[in-house]
Amino acid sequence: MSVQVVAAKMAEVELKDVPVGKDPAAGSPAPPASEAKNTPKTEASASAAAGSPTAESASAKVAEAALNAGGKMPQASALKRTDPQQNGGEAFVNRDGTVAEAPRMKKIQFADQKQEFNKRPSKIGRRSLSRSISQSSTDSYSSAASYTDSSDDETSPRDKQQKNSKGNGDFCIKNIKQAEFGRREIEIAEQEMPALMALRKRAQGEKPLAGAKVVGCTHITAQTAVLMETLSALGAQCRWAACNIYSTQNEVAAALAEGGFSVFAWKGESEDDFWWCIDRCVNVEGWQPNMILDDGGDLTHWIYKKYPNMFKKIKGIVEESVTGVHRLYQLSKAGKLCVPAMNVNDSVTKQKFDNLYCCRESILDGLKRTTDVMFGGKQVVVCGYGEVGKGCCAALKAMGSIVYVTEIDPICALQACMDGFRLVKLNEVIRQVDIVITCTGNKNVVVRENLDRMKNGCIVCNMGHSNTEIDVASLRTPELTWERVRSQVDHVIWPDGKRIVLLAEGRLLNLSCSTVPTFVLSITATTQALALIELYNAPEGRYKQDVYLLPKKMDEYVASLHLPTFDAHLTELSDEQAKYLGLNKNGPFKPNYYR
Amino acid sequence: MAHTLGRERIQFVNAEDKQEFSKFPTKAGRRSLSRSISQSSTDSYSSAASYTDSSDDETTPREKPQTNSRGSNDFCVKNIKQAEFGRREIEIAEQDMSALISLRKRAQGEKPLAGAKIVGCTHITAQTAVLIETLVALGAQCRWTACNIYSTQNEVAAALAETGVPVFAWKGESEDDFWWCIDRCVTSDGWQANMILDDGGDLTHWVYKKYPNTFKKVRGIVEESVTGVHRLYQLSKAGKLCVPAMNVNDSVTKQKFDNLYCCRESILDGLKRTTDIMFGGKQVVVCGYGEVGKGCCTALKALGAIVCITEIDPICALQACMDGFRVVKLSEVIRLMDVVITCTGNKNVVSREQLDRMKNGCIVCNMGHSNTEIDVASLRSPELTWERVRSQVDHIIWPDGKRVILLAEGRLLNLSCSTVPTFVLSITATTQALALIELFNAPEGRYKQDVYLLPKKMDEYVASLHLPNFDAHLTELTDEQAKYMGLNKNGPFKPNYYRY
Repeated sequence: MSVQVVAAKMAEVELKDVPVGKDPAAGSPAPPASEAKNTPKTEASASAAAGSPTAESASAKVAEAALNAGGKMPQASALKRTDPQQNGGEAFVNRDGTVAEAPRMKKIQFADQKQEFNKRPSKIGRRSLSRSISQSSTDSYSSAASYTDSSDDETSPRDKQQKNSKGNGDFCIKNIKQAEFGRREIEIAEQEMPALMALRKRAQGEKPLAGAKVVGCTHITAQTAVLMETLSALGAQCRWAACNIYSTQNEVAAALAEGGFSVFAWKGESEDDFWWCIDRCVNVEGWQPNMILDDGGDLTHWIYKKYPNMFKKIKGIVEESVTGVHRLYQLSKAGKLCVPAMNVNDSVTKQKFDNLYCCRESILDGLKRTTDVMFGGKQVVVCGYGEVGKGCCAALKAMGSIVYVTEIDPICALQACMDGFRLVKLNEVIRQVDIVITCTGNKNVVVRENLDRMKNGCIVCNMGHSNTEIDVASLRTPELTWERVRSQVDHVIWPDGKRIVLLAEGRLLNLSCSTVPTFVLSITATTQALALIELYNAPEGRYKQDVYLLPKKMDEYVASLHLPTFDAHLTELSDEQAKYLGLNKNGPFKPNYYR
Repeated sequence: MAHTLGRERIQFVNAEDKQEFSKFPTKAGRRSLSRSISQSSTDSYSSAASYTDSSDDETTPREKPQTNSRGSNDFCVKNIKQAEFGRREIEIAEQDMSALISLRKRAQGEKPLAGAKIVGCTHITAQTAVLIETLVALGAQCRWTACNIYSTQNEVAAALAETGVPVFAWKGESEDDFWWCIDRCVTSDGWQANMILDDGGDLTHWVYKKYPNTFKKVRGIVEESVTGVHRLYQLSKAGKLCVPAMNVNDSVTKQKFDNLYCCRESILDGLKRTTDIMFGGKQVVVCGYGEVGKGCCTALKALGAIVCITEIDPICALQACMDGFRVVKLSEVIRLMDVVITCTGNKNVVSREQLDRMKNGCIVCNMGHSNTEIDVASLRSPELTWERVRSQVDHIIWPDGKRVILLAEGRLLNLSCSTVPTFVLSITATTQALALIELFNAPEGRYKQDVYLLPKKMDEYVASLHLPNFDAHLTELTDEQAKYMGLNKNGPFKPNYYRY
């Protein structure tokens, strides 16, 4: 539910923002050509702003200007552009995680280009740019409703005196009185996160994180709270900030603060608030973190920029998003990474759940919620047969749909053939299909020409990568009428009356119109906890200043902690069998390259 | 057919060692030790019948003077007169191996193997013949021998010899014949091999042992069996490998077909042929959820069987859970099961204790690894009665009358009771041909003295050559999309670590 709220807000922002702009072009959508022309100018002004002492205040003003539109994020990018530490376009390559996207990112950073607002890399916008493979990191906020509305209290939490019942004031949240609500949320989440609870029990005796001082920057949700309390039960001290300005569950933050955690986060922070929270997390007298748990790389970035000396004490970074991992690899490549970092995003278990299993369910869920379509006998074309595509195809086939696949990679294509799907080119079937689903990670997979040829009522949606796969911009032309029929559903109407049903304006269906089960978040959280334990307890020298994948054995442990949920009984090797296979009885069971 | 082979095998070894025959590393015995993942290399002989019986002529081919219609006598086969039969077999195989045929057409103009002198040691079947003739069409000279003493299709060997390919192989060679054939292949006046295509590593071994100087001219080894690859890695580890070697066994396409797709079909086929079982509603336990296990489970579930699995690896176990299979320990469910299938690669997965607890009529079979997974030896005790009810099917009868149905005596069901489709062999053969082309044409220095996997691009090419069989239409990247993805329009499309 809450994801829809968030997404709906985004949509409003986009709609409202257009008229706000003073730019003459603001009234009508800017054609791509003019966007391209704007690029150099943006670059120039960005670099002009760089190093200027007024840069921050300037962007702050812009922030105010955009305030009514609800868009705090635009200057996120503007602010970052003024940061001379980040060298030009690369910073934006960092931001979204794909090198190839740099050019597009470059032309959209400036706050005063109103007509391009909807493409601007905001905190949320950037999130959705990462591939769906990081979805469990990106929309944890979608799985639980927030009871409280942040708009009912206009005082900024920063200006309020706050104390929990024990008299502790080292936190900053919306409203400490909501702690009881939050506790209930956390308890519900605990029931669906048996792996973390089991980890608590198993490791509580030995306290593997005793002495660890973890500073974290993730979505602050009930599931994260379970993670934090687990870390705490394992002996760690935690300070936490939010990695997304909208995703915080205020009541959960309150419950955490009440429980003695130093949490700095509330729903609807401004960009300035966002960095202030991170700073408050890190910058404490008499407390220096020795572990970093990051989601998106903002916290790591902040420490690098402001407190580089802190890295002397830091034993490692655990990073879970595609974006953050990409930034770490770049740091590592540039020789600037000065502590070991653990890439938990690419752990086998997490990958399978984020892509295959999650998408297998959310494709049906997302389509049902938005369109109430009946799947039996429908002709569906799925573009791309990677993990996401395989999940979508399996689910749709099981519902009785007739599924076609398009592919560019002959190996994946052959897999599709052997799994019983017709491999076609999109234009061969576009006239007859009822549903078009993209999951390629590519751009312009469904172009205007394809859209023109679709039949009336065809549903078009994207499960793959940001909002590039369907060329939605090409639909913003005068002869086509857009009709918003419900949240996340647009009818695009051709002059002859033909309607195309476009979902989530081409953004990710699984993030916009479906939820992520707590179980998937549990996989992620458990992986993070184990990565922290591994890095913290690793003997000196095991990890150098590089980015590591989670050891296979830990990966297997994450999986094994989740097996009891299925009442699954794992077989143990006998000594004789282990010897025969040349394996340790407790794993790892497969070589590292095995997927 | 495979069963009778087994019987002959036993007699043959018996002559030398009566007691330990099951452990003796014979040609056939060693073969069966390789994992099922190399099945397309090991049992190509099961997919086509041999018209001629080798027993009707008692003279060994080695002692017969042989000449083909062109007067050449540089070969040794059972009976050159069978060439016409063999040609027909080859023509049938060609129809199912369109990938090789299209490779012939595509590469015939440029002759990428011109100057290649290939010595090969593989199963000699109609499918291999298509491969050999493709290599010749691409410009190579070939000399060939069999990697298995039983698997040769005599008429195919004759057809090859008739067209001028020096072939040294017949069905039912002795161990001595086997090495004699290999030796005749390698040593030829004025001809020195510069490429080796091996299946099992015997040819490589022989050349290493007898003619190490040959390696000065050899540009590379292409090896396709697990066993042979294992030997190459050992050589490489010991620093003794003196030429580049290509491991085609582990190519993605071949792996998927050998394990997942092939087993998905052969588990049903093997069980039907042997037991005529009806699958709907049957309770089945599959031990192991690797590629083979995944294939078996998918097929059985599709036919309405109730499938549960056992696993040791928590990641695979979690996959099974998410695919909707109950993960159990074998002892928990063994009493209820109608069918028990092993595909773990491990030993003694089904022990005597479990066999004792099975219900009457339970079917036990192995899809995994040689004959170690089911502890068959423990069933050879006096209180149990063995009854052979048909080929490959034994009833083992407990004193109380309970019967357990053991298939293929615990050997691989997919090899013993099912066939390998030509399509799968086509994948293997195409991969071999491309590996040869790659190694032969690689610029100096690209490959060192090490064991390599087939480059991703070649792997993708193998797949793309097989797509026309499905009338599959591959989408091409536009220039803009290729740039956006940072890819070459023609591949490779995935990083090397991507496992599909």
